[in-house]
Amino acid sequence: MIRTLGAIAMVAAVALGCGQSAKPEKTAPDSAKPASAKKALKVAFVTNNASDFWKIAKAGTEKASAELGTEVVFRIPSTGTAQEQQIIVQDLITVGVSGIAISPKDPANQTAMLNKAAAAVNLVTQDSDAPESNRICYIGTDNYQAGVAAGEFLKKTLPGGGKIMLFVGTLDAQNAVDRKRGIEDAIKGSGIVIVDTRTDETDRVKAKRNTQDALVTHRDLACLVGLWSYNGPSILSGVRDSGKLGQVKIVCFDEEEEALQGVKDGYIAGTIVQQPYEFGYQSVKVLTALAKGDTSVIPSSKQIIIPVKVITKDNVDAFWTELKRLTGKH
Amino acid sequence: MVKFRKVLGLIVLLTSLIVLTCLWERHAHGAIRFLTPQNLRNLLPWIGLFGILSLGEALVIITGGIDLSVGSVVALVGIICAVLLRDFGWPVAAAIPASLGIAIAVGGWHGVLITKGRMQPFVVTLCGLFFYRGIARLITGDTTRGFGAAYPHLTWLGSGFIPNDGSSLVSVPFVILLVLAVGVGAYLHFSAQGRHLFALGASEDAARFSGIPITRLKITAYALCGLLSGIGGLLIAFNVNSLGPTDFGSFYELYAIAGAVLGGCSLRGGSGNVAGVVVGASLIVVLKNLVNILEIPSQLEYVVIGGAILAGVFADEMFSRRQAGIRTTA
Repeated sequence: MIRTLGAIAMVAAVALGCGQSAKPEKTAPDSAKPASAKKALKVAFVTNNASDFWKIAKAGTEKASAELGTEVVFRIPSTGTAQEQQIIVQDLITVGVSGIAISPKDPANQTAMLNKAAAAVNLVTQDSDAPESNRICYIGTDNYQAGVAAGEFLKKTLPGGGKIMLFVGTLDAQNAVDRKRGIEDAIKGSGIVIVDTRTDETDRVKAKRNTQDALVTHRDLACLVGLWSYNGPSILSGVRDSGKLGQVKIVCFDEEEEALQGVKDGYIAGTIVQQPYEFGYQSVKVLTALAKGDTSVIPSSKQIIIPVKVITKDNVDAFWTELKRLTGKH
Repeated sequence: MVKFRKVLGLIVLLTSLIVLTCLWERHAHGAIRFLTPQNLRNLLPWIGLFGILSLGEALVIITGGIDLSVGSVVALVGIICAVLLRDFGWPVAAAIPASLGIAIAVGGWHGVLITKGRMQPFVVTLCGLFFYRGIARLITGDTTRGFGAAYPHLTWLGSGFIPNDGSSLVSVPFVILLVLAVGVGAYLHFSAQGRHLFALGASEDAARFSGIPITRLKITAYALCGLLSGIGGLLIAFNVNSLGPTDFGSFYELYAIAGAVLGGCSLRGGSGNVAGVVVGASLIVVLKNLVNILEIPSQLEYVVIGGAILAGVFADEMFSRRQAGIRTTA
């Protein structure tokens, strides 16, 4: 009996300890908080993994937070699994946020979870959409359009056509599917052919090896295309080790430091960037408006599309300077 | 003699795999891409890098233990080194010994917990797997780290060749593996302490009653495993130059264990040899390469690796059983 009680007490103590230690990362807008607000409006922003991309989005949420006085809870699932997102969302609802902006990891299979959340709070998706769910709207890139932009840029880079190969983490993520489809549609009839798509399960070492192996397997590749943020640096590193810098063109997505350096050095023809800063900023703005009962911010299409930009040697310096300012890196 | 037969069997397996690949390639493509200098230049560094991890793992497996924290130690050491160099501005001569010192301390600490704390190796290192990953994420705040272009010598250590031109096949990490393998081999097979390690793995009680200092030996084995994971981790970090704290090195403990087991180490302890481990680790790297070269869909990679390890271990078991049978009947 005493032993049982002891065990219960221990479990309780551990649970309490966890509750205290698991403080979410908060963007407390202490200085910006209006003096009149007794209890600040609280909204949450949930990412799909941990990366620099989300640092930029965080800067956007902070800007909106400072402007509007909304408190933002910024949560990063450490292993980046759908299951972890579910726990985070449940906990956020328990904490009592008024709205959640989430980048669902696996939208098709998360519909039930998202609908449950949408029943409790204002739910918007950002970065990755879940159109099947009851989310109020989507804020982010249209990945199909981003793919088309990449395809158009490929046509400019390879005016005579040529063989290209795609590299991506996994092909079961909707953004990978959409980007690929966009590229395929854009290059139709241009003489550019996709010979293969290799996946690396987000292991950078494997991504690099895929590149090295591709250069052995297909000696006549004209361009390597990386669909996810780390693919650009991995391709660059693989091409460098294979001694083919400048001989094979590279096009990638997103703005990792190494990728931007590659653009600056002229080894990467261009990188297609999304605007995560806007994801963060718009998400907090929309959620704040919704919490105040203002639904006019939601367009009838239920999509707030943030356009992509193509970064080439011409505009890389300006872009990079601004990026460093946003992420606080020097 | 049986020992050498085992290594011989592995080499036969590796060679026949390569020959089959070449035959298939000639049949399907009319050219053997696997044996091109460029592909060998791709393979050798990776064999070196993953081989070093397997060497460390083999040391603890021989004592009848296991180290599940290798991947997280790889991440921790790589990231600490990058942070010391770039954020704290330490010189290379200080940052590398400090990082490796941490790796030794981590390994030694596992040994202390296992011997003095009487905890199971599986549990201790499983906790380590989570713990060091978390520390790596904490240190970096989940931002990707790298060494930039400022350390060409370090990049050379992880991916260079001797001489460092486009045609040499003498890969630096591969040479480092060979040097380390000779060192570990001398320690394991030709020193009294090495023989005691085998004795300890075969029967801990028997070893204890024969007066072998078990505690000291085990701590040494885990510390050496930590050191080798650290060396491997640093070299992999220098090679890929882009370290995502959540994914860098994840699953590498499993590849390390697979290499060691395929190389003839028994998880029951007391058997294994260094030459086998080097060949076993090479086999894993070659298998991954074959998936790409033979253009097997990425999805099948794990099937190929899992199937090959199972087949290898099964063949080894049959082979050694027959050997034992012949011996007893002869």
